[in-house]
Amino acid sequence: MAEQKVELFARRLDRGVQQAVHSNSAAGTEKRYHSLGADYSAPDDLRRLAGQIRQHAIEHMDTYLEQAEQSLKRQGAQVHFAVTAADACRAVSDILQKAGAKKVVKSKSMISEEIHLNDHLGSVGIESVETDLGEYIIQIDGDHPSHIVKPIIHKNRRDIAKSFEREGLGDYNDDPETITRRARVFMRDKYLQADAGITGANFVSAESGRLVLVTNEGNSRFCLAAPKIHIALVGIEKVIPSDAELAVLLNLLGRSATGQQLTVYTEFINGPARTDRPSGPREMHVIFVDNERSQILASDCREILRCIRCGACLNVCPIYRQASGHAYRSVYPGPVGAVLSPLLAGKKFKELADLPKASSLCGACNEVCPVDIPIPDLLLKLRHRGHEEHAPSPGTPPMGAFAKLASSPMLWRFAMKSNKVMNLVPLEKLPLPYLQPWLKTRTLPEWRGGEFRSWMKDRRKK
Amino acid sequence: MNTAREQILANIRSALTVLPERTARPTFPKSVSEPQWLASEADTIALFQKRATATGTKCFTDMESCAAWLREQGVRCVYIPAPLTRLASLCSEFCEVTAEYTRARVNEIDAAFTPSAGAVAESGTIILSDESTPDRLAALAPWHHIALVSRAEIHRTIADAIAAMPDDPNLIWVTGPSKTADVEGILIQGVHGPGAQACLIV
Repeated sequence: MAEQKVELFARRLDRGVQQAVHSNSAAGTEKRYHSLGADYSAPDDLRRLAGQIRQHAIEHMDTYLEQAEQSLKRQGAQVHFAVTAADACRAVSDILQKAGAKKVVKSKSMISEEIHLNDHLGSVGIESVETDLGEYIIQIDGDHPSHIVKPIIHKNRRDIAKSFEREGLGDYNDDPETITRRARVFMRDKYLQADAGITGANFVSAESGRLVLVTNEGNSRFCLAAPKIHIALVGIEKVIPSDAELAVLLNLLGRSATGQQLTVYTEFINGPARTDRPSGPREMHVIFVDNERSQILASDCREILRCIRCGACLNVCPIYRQASGHAYRSVYPGPVGAVLSPLLAGKKFKELADLPKASSLCGACNEVCPVDIPIPDLLLKLRHRGHEEHAPSPGTPPMGAFAKLASSPMLWRFAMKSNKVMNLVPLEKLPLPYLQPWLKTRTLPEWRGGEFRSWMKDRRKK
Repeated sequence: MNTAREQILANIRSALTVLPERTARPTFPKSVSEPQWLASEADTIALFQKRATATGTKCFTDMESCAAWLREQGVRCVYIPAPLTRLASLCSEFCEVTAEYTRARVNEIDAAFTPSAGAVAESGTIILSDESTPDRLAALAPWHHIALVSRAEIHRTIADAIAAMPDDPNLIWVTGPSKTADVEGILIQGVHGPGAQACLIV
């Protein structure tokens, strides 16, 4: 029987990895639940308000983007725009090459994963080091993040210890504290030697031009301390009207992502450092990246652009917990990825059109979403689009014959009655590949088709 | 003119023309995101201490106990900006004190005092800025960082602190020590930034 790719991946997944992903995700859901529950009597009201704020922002993206641009320029930042992923990569390398920069430190940014920035920088001879501990391990392993917030959720300490040993960061030692200390020492030199720091942004306030960055490790602070150039890659959907909205969004982001009231470091950056300061970048570049976002805005799935990348929908999703992030074959995994990834694929939509089907539509993702994105509705819309575009649909039994039957009253009546013959047939012996897995664990009830119709008919007579 | 800019804005505008009506900007009271327990906390300074301690930030209200802690931690070299002479003399009893933060000594200076730009009681957050801490590395690279928080500058809520953000290109909110749970979800403190975060309330 043909299977969905996500299901197939889950089935072949190493049990240890599956357990790690499952327990770590479940712990995330638990923490989120307790921190929101302890602090708010009606967290859903706050989620809905945040959803409205983000929906308003994306529906006024033109206004806020221009306003953010003006605010940033006023503060001395340089603003660039990039239509495609390749344009964004080129914009970064152009800035670096113009400044003669050879070494770059990077803090975690999903959009840089999306545009494959590190590969591009490597190809033009610029060293780019990921400084988030998880992302660094991903980088040295040539791997891909499998969770938006916890990129190495699929790795255990032994895997990491082996990678560190291979990279010359000391003898094999799988103590998490030792691993972290070694990364600290290694990164210190990288920070101090780097010519430029690259970051993303969690939000951009149009009114003040402030870029908001949140990290727990403090790596993005370091990226903006020693280096002389700051480049921020920002998706065009990150704009919000003003600083006032941040109180609502920040309160939800930390709690939804990691169960923290606030992430350890929340940075508000709106320009280069003043020239009389001993540290901080002298140049700040903000690159607003479209990469299919304006097309998503035009589609009937625009609500997905509200997303603030907290990862709560991944943690709670029964499919993600079983299948892990790599099953989604794209940068964004889980429920948000099942919507966002096929849309970001643009013309290659069909290649990822199976992702919206990797869902039981249980609705848990919508219930935990800090900006109340109706993910199940969007999944259904994308399933429909996949059908319209004749995307391959493995795992779906052919329903053509049933459709014919169900749309003809006469045929239906006949089938209802005549199917009684099925009660005499040993079903488990039939060559029906779609039914066999089901029949292995269940017995079909006796066929009583047509009885409702005759009951109705008799009832009318009386 | 920047063509990418024009193209993106044109695409956004044409995407939005299909909407019969655009979602209005929601209005909400500043108190909307306040935790339900906030009202029962009358004393803002006590609240800050409680919340900061809960996130792993040590709070001191006198220089002596703060210096005693650094001594106990085995600090070898502490950066104390020039005006804080009494603190400097307290620390010089057990370690080297420097009033200058230089790039060459980043790995030797293992503790640093820097003035803060205020604090947030609701979340136990310390606010740093370029104005208060001119060398960003001084508040970031040493294992121990002690922020000097003035009582008068402690904002009650996150929303209050956001409304009062000063004009500074680099405002940093610090809520606890640097941490990661990347390796098997195990919490480790002191990844890149301070492993021990403290504040001295003055």
